[in-house]
Amino acid sequence: MLQACDDDLSGQLARVQRRLERERMARREAEAIAEKGLRELYERQQELLLLEAIAGAANLISSVEEALQFAIAQICGFTGWPLGQAYLTDGDGASQRLLPVAAEPGALPGPLAEFRLATGQMSFAPGIGLPGRVLASGAPVWISDVTEDANFPRAAQAREAGLRGAFAFPVVAGSEVVAVLEFFADRTAELDASLQRVMAQVGTQLGRVIERKRAEERLIYEAFHDCLTGLPNRAMFLERLGRSIARQQADPNYHFAVLFIDLDRFKIINDSLGHLAGDQLIVQVAERFLAALYEAEQGRHAAAEAGTLARLGGDEFTVLLDDIDAPADAEHLAQRIQETLRQPFCLEGQEIYTTASIGITVSSTGYASATEVLRDVDLAMYRAKAQGKARYEVYNEAMHQSAMARLKLETDLRRALLNQEFVVHYQPIVSLKTGDIAGFEALVRWQKSATELVYPSDFIEVTEDTGLILFLGIWVLREACRTLGRWHAEFPRSTPLTMSINLSARQFGQPDLVQQVRQIIDETGVDPTTITLEITESVTMGDAEHAIRVLSQLREIGVRFSIDDFGTGYSSLSYLHRLPLDILKIDRSFIAAIDQDGENLSIVRTIMRLAKDLGIDVVAEGTETTAQLAHLRELDCEFGQGYYFSQPVDAGSIRQLLQAPEPSPA
Amino acid sequence: MKGIVFNLLEEVVTDAHGEQVWDALLDATGLSGSYTSLGSYPDEHLEQLLQAAASALDTPPGEILRWFGKAAMPLLAKRYPSFFSAHRSARPFVLSVNSIIHPEVRKLYPGADVPFFDFSDEPDGTLLMGYRSPRKLCLLSLGFIEGAAAYYHESTTFEHLECMHRGDSCCQIKITFTPGGAR
Repeated sequence: MLQACDDDLSGQLARVQRRLERERMARREAEAIAEKGLRELYERQQELLLLEAIAGAANLISSVEEALQFAIAQICGFTGWPLGQAYLTDGDGASQRLLPVAAEPGALPGPLAEFRLATGQMSFAPGIGLPGRVLASGAPVWISDVTEDANFPRAAQAREAGLRGAFAFPVVAGSEVVAVLEFFADRTAELDASLQRVMAQVGTQLGRVIERKRAEERLIYEAFHDCLTGLPNRAMFLERLGRSIARQQADPNYHFAVLFIDLDRFKIINDSLGHLAGDQLIVQVAERFLAALYEAEQGRHAAAEAGTLARLGGDEFTVLLDDIDAPADAEHLAQRIQETLRQPFCLEGQEIYTTASIGITVSSTGYASATEVLRDVDLAMYRAKAQGKARYEVYNEAMHQSAMARLKLETDLRRALLNQEFVVHYQPIVSLKTGDIAGFEALVRWQKSATELVYPSDFIEVTEDTGLILFLGIWVLREACRTLGRWHAEFPRSTPLTMSINLSARQFGQPDLVQQVRQIIDETGVDPTTITLEITESVTMGDAEHAIRVLSQLREIGVRFSIDDFGTGYSSLSYLHRLPLDILKIDRSFIAAIDQDGENLSIVRTIMRLAKDLGIDVVAEGTETTAQLAHLRELDCEFGQGYYFSQPVDAGSIRQLLQAPEPSPA
Repeated sequence: MKGIVFNLLEEVVTDAHGEQVWDALLDATGLSGSYTSLGSYPDEHLEQLLQAAASALDTPPGEILRWFGKAAMPLLAKRYPSFFSAHRSARPFVLSVNSIIHPEVRKLYPGADVPFFDFSDEPDGTLLMGYRSPRKLCLLSLGFIEGAAAYYHESTTFEHLECMHRGDSCCQIKITFTPGGAR
């Protein structure tokens, strides 16, 4: 009984103990689960704080290096690892290397400082060392003990510094490893999946920082460079020029020069071969100029601080030569640049030659702004163009004066047109057989004031350049037609009086020229067959087919044509006969010399014969003397025009001439 | 005081002397004895249990404390192996207490009031440890260090240069690690 009671008691005790053990196990397990949860919660919070800190800083920090350094410090704080190092990827392909980002000088214990110093002098190729392995694989790498790792070049220094475990991960932008971060522990390290996950997020964030920074740098670069040639653009050139000007103002011994280079035939090349070829030419030209600049600077001083070659746009280049010794330096470079154009360019399989007109200005002129420099050097370039292209001109004060005068003339001419200050004078064209006035040439004059009469030679070029000629030309045409119509009514003749009116190249290029002429003929009611439009050879030079077409259309209206200044231009005899010409005017230079040497006489004779063969009348311009007249009569020249008969006079004077009894030529 | 300390104490007492002795200590102190590692309990509980053990085993409380620290180490090594496997000897393990172990303790027990140790290398190769805590558990830390040394097959000797129990403002303990000690 007692035995049974004992058995029962010990059985109960054993059960209670087992139950107790179960409870204890359950408690331990519950504690372990809770501890694990607490630990993970804590770690997540810390991770979030780390990511937040890095993301926050990334928006404030101005450089990639700073962002990487900040991340290193944060991660060291987070992991408790004593040392971290960032590397940036440099170059690509086989020459790709990781270069250490210079660490901020922080207080590190001696051996660690030594290790960091050694790291600062390293560079890692893909696959080499800890960072190199990350660069090659694009994946994080763990080393449990660097002192025992075969691929860890800094093992000796690490042992000295007491570093053991290491971990490195990539910073990726797009699909490219742009940086690597490595960290070292003072104990062995094993792969920590949770840490690796956080570092991957850090890597992504830093990758975005680098991407953004690069995009920013690219934008800044593009804002200051020409996209076709990669040369500095206008903005950058002006900026550098501004700096040189400021330096010159502070240091009178410092001098700079600016060259303005404009290709001479670029528009023709662009128009004939297309813009793509034009672009290719610009690129090749830029390369040659750059080489010339480099060579010139090498020759100038040993430690050549290269000048700036910029492309302002189109076919315009500029060079800023810094710290020159003499203006000759700039001229020397201009010569070199022109030499580079001697060899042809190969475009679209064709050999193309081009030349450049170059303007030069030097700082001794005294400049306060980049705008002034560009203004002057541009003037000098235009002077080079005007002087025959393929040359350089150095700016001088006279250029500015003449530019200013020209600008004033232009303004005055516009006002003159508005105020109707122009008048038409007429010079008689006389039949050399009868001595009768056969007709007139209408010549424009500018009645600037009551006493001041300005001749076309002083203003017509400006009206050509500015396009004012279009308005002026039409005005003269209308005025002359109206006047002739009046004279026809007043002085009827069996052979009606004629009127020759000059037509400029600009007018000839107007698509509605034929319409305009027809309208004026209709408006004034003048007999179109008495109107002669005078054109120069150059008008027909550009596009002969076009010229022939326009002249033919005008001919249908009834007007006639004369070729002015014949013999001075290229005199393309090949198509002279294809032009519907009525009159050929021998240039005054031949007539002036007709009685001085036989050569001129024979030229005039040849022209006369040519005209006769083509059935064209001839007018001898600039007939001034009796001797000349005698020669012309001898040559059977039909008409003469010149001071011998009358200088150009106003319409009133012509009326008196026409009313007067028949003039009797001497 | 964190519950884990009471759990460890229960474990080492039970292992060494049996469950009855732990029950007896609880009976003597009148404490309930229900401690969870996640909880915090008054420091006096530890003090009371030590006093009770001292009378029961006829040993000074300090000795009990030191023995507890040493005996707890293998249990800790079993629970938290990674703290131990990262080192090859006792000295760096001890040095990692401020930077590694205590931060880890805080991860588990937010707000844990862990002591801070000053360590400095002495010219003679020994380690000088400074300890300051209102709990004055310097002997527990000595026990822990002994336990750690034993874990790495080393032995230690101490010179208790200054001690809060002797009226000093803090404890200064000179520690000598000797390889190849008894476990």
